[in-house]
Amino acid sequence: MARTLQTTRDDYLIAGFAALAITIHIAESALPSPLPGIKPGLANVVTLVVLCRYGWRMAAWVSLLRVLVGSILIGTFLSPTFFLSAAGALASVAVLGLLFALSRALPGWAVGPMGYGVAAALAHMSGQFWVAYAVFVPHSGLLTLYPLLMTLAAVLGIVSGLLTRTILARLNSPPPGDNPV
Amino acid sequence: MNWVKLSRGDAVVWLLAATLLVSVYTIFWQADGHGAEAVVLVNGKRWARLDLFQNQDLDVPGPLGHSHIQVRDGQVRFVNSPCPNQLCVHTGWLNQGGEVAICLPNKVSLQILGSDPRFDAINF
Repeated sequence: MARTLQTTRDDYLIAGFAALAITIHIAESALPSPLPGIKPGLANVVTLVVLCRYGWRMAAWVSLLRVLVGSILIGTFLSPTFFLSAAGALASVAVLGLLFALSRALPGWAVGPMGYGVAAALAHMSGQFWVAYAVFVPHSGLLTLYPLLMTLAAVLGIVSGLLTRTILARLNSPPPGDNPV
Repeated sequence: MNWVKLSRGDAVVWLLAATLLVSVYTIFWQADGHGAEAVVLVNGKRWARLDLFQNQDLDVPGPLGHSHIQVRDGQVRFVNSPCPNQLCVHTGWLNQGGEVAICLPNKVSLQILGSDPRFDAINF
């Protein structure tokens, strides 16, 4: 007797957004970067948009699927890069979860894309850094790099926050024509 | 929901982020602190341990000759050395924990002992 898996609308949405994030992630990985592993993190914009429109649970799925599938497709699955990436993603998802829960509990103090963007970026960088320090380069010289990396993360977080905000504004006002949002 | 305005929550997050950033610079970029002791290495081995607050002059023997080292008021330096480039002498005064001056040709090095040695090992 065959048993079918019941898929819900959420599953389709997660799959679609994850695919989008993965595509952006792979395209971005082709860009050269001044420091190893430092990327603009444009795929995070997808995570943030999903967070603001659909909630934390879906954003968490999209983020983690992006790291997992992205690494399989690029070929870095289970490599050091993957573990750093996963650490960053887990930290960022956790921080976003905390802020999301606080925003629900205190609606007057709800956080928006600008806040989420900066918080996610700083958490992501910190997660990556501390795993790198603990596991790969346990040298005190690395610690001197931390403030610089965090500053960069903050700047990139603002950028992703701005992008998210622009996208959300556009999504809230459906474009003219026959394309329903 | 209006996403365009910066909300109060955003302002709080940014404030916390700014605080975090400043504290991270403060914690990770502070100098090691003034050192109190220096160690002289010849050929990689400890030759002498110097109290930086006891003014003294030393001649350290190496393969090329003697390197003259001076300790004055919490600082130490190479005064002269039998090497062609005099890089050790040009390093000048050392006083912070972790600072080093090295005379490679004469295989003599000076290091201020701090809480966190800047170099794990020095090999010639």
